[in-house]
Amino acid sequence: MVRSLICGVLIGSFVAITCSARAADAPSEIKLGTLYASSGNFASISMPVHYGLKLWADAKNAEGGVFVKAFNKKIPLKLVEYDDQSNTATAATLYNQLITQDKVDILISDSGSVLTSVAVPIARDHKMLLIDQTGTGATFFTKDNPYIALMSDPVSSIWPKYIADFLTKDGPALGIKRIAILYSTNDFTGTQANAVRAFIKESKAPVDIVYDQGVPTNTTSYTVLINNIGATNPDAVVELGYPNNDISFLRNLQDGGIRFKWLFAIYPGLETELLEKNVGVKGLEHVFTYVPSSVIEYKPEVGLSLADFRAAWEKKYADAKVEFGFNSVAGYTTGLVLESALAVATSLDQLELRKAIFSLSGKLKTLDGTFELDDTGAQIGEITPLGQIESDGKGGVKFVVVYPHEVATGKPIYPAM
Amino acid sequence: MLEYTLLAGLLFGLYFSLVGLGLNLTFGVMRIVNLAHGDFLMLGAFAAFWLFNLAGVVPLVSVFLILAAFALVGLPLYYLFVPRLLTAKDPEMLSIILFFGLSQVIEALTTIAFGTSERSIPGNVLGSGPVRLLGQSFPAAWVVSGIASGLAVLGIYLYLYQTRLGYLTRAVMVHREEALATGIDVHRVSAIAFGIGLALAATAGVFAPFMLGSVTPAMGVDINITSFAVIVVGSLGNPLGTVLGGIVYGISLMFMQSYFSSWANLLPYLLLIFILLVRPSGLLGRQVRRA
Repeated sequence: MVRSLICGVLIGSFVAITCSARAADAPSEIKLGTLYASSGNFASISMPVHYGLKLWADAKNAEGGVFVKAFNKKIPLKLVEYDDQSNTATAATLYNQLITQDKVDILISDSGSVLTSVAVPIARDHKMLLIDQTGTGATFFTKDNPYIALMSDPVSSIWPKYIADFLTKDGPALGIKRIAILYSTNDFTGTQANAVRAFIKESKAPVDIVYDQGVPTNTTSYTVLINNIGATNPDAVVELGYPNNDISFLRNLQDGGIRFKWLFAIYPGLETELLEKNVGVKGLEHVFTYVPSSVIEYKPEVGLSLADFRAAWEKKYADAKVEFGFNSVAGYTTGLVLESALAVATSLDQLELRKAIFSLSGKLKTLDGTFELDDTGAQIGEITPLGQIESDGKGGVKFVVVYPHEVATGKPIYPAM
Repeated sequence: MLEYTLLAGLLFGLYFSLVGLGLNLTFGVMRIVNLAHGDFLMLGAFAAFWLFNLAGVVPLVSVFLILAAFALVGLPLYYLFVPRLLTAKDPEMLSIILFFGLSQVIEALTTIAFGTSERSIPGNVLGSGPVRLLGQSFPAAWVVSGIASGLAVLGIYLYLYQTRLGYLTRAVMVHREEALATGIDVHRVSAIAFGIGLALAATAGVFAPFMLGSVTPAMGVDINITSFAVIVVGSLGNPLGTVLGGIVYGISLMFMQSYFSSWANLLPYLLLIFILLVRPSGLLGRQVRRA
């Protein structure tokens, strides 16, 4: 009896000491290191992502922090953030600073493939897991690099699959036989162009690529390029660019009074508000694009619903200087994945964090869809359907999902002349 | 395709003549490098955007308001910065540093005021539908911008060669100290030239949303690089050279886009290297400037 009592006291004391030691070891804050671009070519895709992440972090801090299983308590978050001004050289310096000087617990890349590309080797060299928000370049993900995980956006090598599938499976029946591809030469759109080209060739469908040109990402004038594309008489045009490219392309098209029979562009779907402001409803009408999570109502099991998130966004960022769109959802999704991972990770060790994030794969459902990674850390869930933009008759636009058929909400308008 | 590329290059080049003209005038008269030139252009663009969206003033009207406003802003800015710069041992180098700082301030303030996103004005406010030009079809906005650029160039030409103030400006361009010795009020002439330089930049900015698709607070740097290529190709300090430089740039860019599209962004640098190696004084050289 006495022996049992002593054993019980000893075990109880051990547990208490261990727990108090763990609580004492707990950091006063979890440092999240990240970059954003307040100016330059990538500001319009970087700021919404950053604001989305900030919104999540501020909301968690208002609740006392995020629950960290490794310390069995809520710990406040501290965003250590620097402005890379869309400059890759500056970004490289700042990523190094976050790791070596600020000693952040979690390294989060800036938005987009260009500004993520410099973070990939740096994170790997320092054995820091790179929380890749929206850098979808396929070259970032290799089997020998365990230090990267893509939070939102499908990897670029699979993202355009539905475009190619539509063109090769439904296209010939509609009369689509000649396809033109114009892309910006960067990791994001370059990889997507490669993927479209490969999918089309592999399909052996009776379609030909009659125009296939890359242009620098800072291209602002498309009039001559549009004329050159028109000279090849394409049935479908796939234009892959960043927002500034899509805006210029669509405006030049509209101002030149030219309409292609079938036109795809990325950002009318991803940053609809921004494109609507710059191109107008008429310029977006009949354009095919990705139908993103900022439009589709996924049922989240973690975090806010799309409607609630939008309401929170509009309340927090009432000045409307940064538009709500797919990228704002992406930044918030990064936070949700981190929150879920910290709730199961047994330590803040980088490979343990990776293990925790991978354990969520296929199970975590957010407003961005189902989070799913392949074994290289590339996102393979959250694939966006192909849709066509139409006027909603009230001065705005609406999306008609046209592919894949099982989620389609309408038929494509072809030719869109 | 060839004719279209050539004509598009001509229109685009005319616009870039206007973009470079103010920078070249400032350099020609004061021998200072206005690295904030692209930012003044950006401010002109945002002024046009703001006037259109808030007051419904179309660009063809706002251009006159903006031109006058920036010319007036240029006068106090000149007296604030330039006379002090010109007393330094190396005003050119100091001007680069000073105007770089000013450029950063302008960009930061505009970002705070307007945000980072792209902004533009609907193309149809400069004319609906395309315009036929020598059998080719171009956006009306391009043709209007080209005409406006041509008029601005003509205006500068008339100012420099047909007005008394223009004669005095050219005298200062040839030799500042000699002009001073002959009793010319060099600061007054220079201040007016500085104001005209800013007004030209802002005028180019009004048409930027149409020629460049959209505008952002960060666009100044790219504009500066292209402007420098244009004025170096034409010849530094020579406004007529700027017109030639702009056209060479525009046509070369369109040909690059047609035949070597992936490399098109190298064009300003290639032109700069080529012209500095082959004809460092620019296509029109010193003789014309000194004439």
